[in-house]
Amino acid sequence: MKKFGFIMLIIVIFALVGCNDKPTPETSAKSDQANELTLAIGGEPDDGFDPTTGWGRYGSPLFQSTLLKQDSEMEITYDLATDYQVSEDGLTWEVTLRDDAKFSDGEPVTAEDVIFTFETAKQSQSVVDLADLESIDKEGDYQITFHLSQPQSTFLYTLQRLGVVPEHAYDEGYAENPVGSGPYQLVEWRKGEQLIVEKNPRYYGNEPEFEKLTFLFSGEDQAIAAAKAGEVDVLSVPITMADQEIAGMKQISLQSVDNRGVMLPYLEPTTNGNGEEVGNPVTSDPAIRKALNYAIDREAIVDGVLNGEGTVAYSSSDGLPWGNTETAIEDADQNRAEQILTDAGWQRGEDDIFEKDGQKASMTLYYPSGDQMRQSLSLVFADMINEFGIKVITEGASWNEIEQKMHANPVMMGWGSHDPIELYSLYHSSMQGIDYYNANYYQNEQVDQYLDQAIHASTEEEANEYWKLAQWDGDTGMSTLGDAPWVWLVNLNHIYYINENIRIGEQKVQPHGHGWPITDFITEWKVTE
Amino acid sequence: MKKNMIIPLFLFIAVYILSFLIKDTISVDLANKNQAPSLSHLYGTDWLGRDMLLRTLKGIQLSITLGMVTALLSTSLGLLLSILATVNSYMDKMVSWLIDLFLSLPHLVTFILISFVLGGGFKGVVIGLMLTHWPAITRVLRAELLQLQTMPYVQISKQLGKGFWWRARYHFLPHLFPQLMVGFTLIFPHAILHEASITFLGFGLSAEQPAIGIILSESMQYLSSGMWWLAFFPGLTLLMMMLLFQRFTNAFKHHLERDRSYEHYTNG
Repeated sequence: MKKFGFIMLIIVIFALVGCNDKPTPETSAKSDQANELTLAIGGEPDDGFDPTTGWGRYGSPLFQSTLLKQDSEMEITYDLATDYQVSEDGLTWEVTLRDDAKFSDGEPVTAEDVIFTFETAKQSQSVVDLADLESIDKEGDYQITFHLSQPQSTFLYTLQRLGVVPEHAYDEGYAENPVGSGPYQLVEWRKGEQLIVEKNPRYYGNEPEFEKLTFLFSGEDQAIAAAKAGEVDVLSVPITMADQEIAGMKQISLQSVDNRGVMLPYLEPTTNGNGEEVGNPVTSDPAIRKALNYAIDREAIVDGVLNGEGTVAYSSSDGLPWGNTETAIEDADQNRAEQILTDAGWQRGEDDIFEKDGQKASMTLYYPSGDQMRQSLSLVFADMINEFGIKVITEGASWNEIEQKMHANPVMMGWGSHDPIELYSLYHSSMQGIDYYNANYYQNEQVDQYLDQAIHASTEEEANEYWKLAQWDGDTGMSTLGDAPWVWLVNLNHIYYINENIRIGEQKVQPHGHGWPITDFITEWKVTE
Repeated sequence: MKKNMIIPLFLFIAVYILSFLIKDTISVDLANKNQAPSLSHLYGTDWLGRDMLLRTLKGIQLSITLGMVTALLSTSLGLLLSILATVNSYMDKMVSWLIDLFLSLPHLVTFILISFVLGGGFKGVVIGLMLTHWPAITRVLRAELLQLQTMPYVQISKQLGKGFWWRARYHFLPHLFPQLMVGFTLIFPHAILHEASITFLGFGLSAEQPAIGIILSESMQYLSSGMWWLAFFPGLTLLMMMLLFQRFTNAFKHHLERDRSYEHYTNG
């Protein structure tokens, strides 16, 4: 027995020495288990992992897969579907499914599951908008036809965002125990702490390189500390913390449409059906709205507030296929802004602030008080505009308070989506005062018409054409050249620190929400030596 | 003796008045952001290039104003309740019960709750502070009054038919004045520090107001990138102001509590 112990000791010693001799890869501190990954990117969903109530709108749904998806060039590619056909009138969508896809519990993914998913999502009436979906027919085990009540070009994006759930395994607790056909399956979710997932062996797509992923949901400071200790492979940090060096990690800064801009109430002061105040006597003047857009120096804001980690924004969809590039303007032009105001009858008063018919050009800009980025942007915006001659008072408030004020006062807001339906929601008059959409009560008949045409177009190209026309058709539009109901300021870059040995490949322009969207192509992430 | 009192008070008031000379909006200067302390910016500048010295002074101004208002309100509340306690034994029990109740709850927690319920902001903080800082002084005043009531001269004026409020006005108040002053000066720094702490925790003043608590909580985000001056100087200044006031308070207390029986002789 003694001898045996001695031999064991020798073996252990050799084993240890042996380890030392090996050329240790740099990642050894992070994961001796080379194909495990720890991510601290936030983004824990409050409602769990049920796609029918909104999970997986951005980034990878991990557990589920979608019918279609977008590649890094934002081109549409196939996922669960192998083919789709849209009828001439745009009312019927025929989708063919692949026949080799299985859920992680071994059951095949069939037409019934897809129908079940869309019907559940329609009933839940949450973030997934399926109002135009009339009925779904099963044509075969792997063949489905969607019938729409009116053509809807954005249905294409719904097909990309709605992960398919299994009919047989869907119950009350699904959001916490998701089963799906995605690349990973759930191991453990400790709310507020971490999510552990492992590779789904039955996944039909490219086999992901990482066996196991751990998502940490700790606070920012803890995440950074953990990264510095070498315990995290992928870390998201706010722009204000982007100037650190973390050993063994490289910084990447992704361009986004995660925009920030000042929403300007469009109407003259009045009240809406609920008795809320709507409209603003100053910002209802198009000259004021345009002057604000021309007077502001966006480049200076990007350099000054964002430390260069961002891009100037002239619309809510810069860099997206439906963004109209003609609508970029030459800003930081105070002479032009002054000209616009003078032409519209505004005169500088004694204190250098513009006024017209006894009305001072003055407004209160609200921002959510917990958000330091929006606070900084608001303060800088106010400072620039005050200098120019329009009085802007900034006020931090909770979202609850902002909801009360936002129809009658400018608010620092942020949007940015991979689905052009956002343009419809922000600018169409039928969306006035619904949630945070079209909070300015913007309305323009011609724009409404273009937006309707865009949403009901039968092809993507045609739709994009109309989205662009709605922004500026040479005569009118919802962009700065037209009615200018917004002062779009910047698109924030999304900053991540990533283990030097991991390649995440090309990324799309990032949407609103910093963190989860980076998981979009997680199945294609690679380790390099 | 007097110098002990006057110098701290003078310095304190000087800083307060100085802060009114600063205009309300401290301008943003993106070219000079994140500057470490230097001769042109003694306290450095923040991430928007605002001068931290000016921001700190503005913050101190707000804090002092808030401290004054709340100290005044809670001493008045204390006085009112202690006088009520002397009306009859039933009222006395009520007031003692209230005092015990409030003293048994942790100060800060009650304060956060009240301020949160009232929606925060200046009003929430003032009312929260007022409702949490009265028990100590009320207890002292009540004890004092219980003693006073048994004094022969008070008993005599009662027998002579003077009403309760008359006695309160002519016998109790003059006697309580030193206690009130001491109570006021003690509550004042306490209130300011508590305001700063709950504002720091995010339940107090809104991010818009230039309070020290706001400055400190904002700076937390920048500490890890090495901008220590954002928190150090404002915190130090607040501390210095409070120490100054404390010195004044102590001297003032000694002054009020001095043995007056000799003054008669020394003044001739």
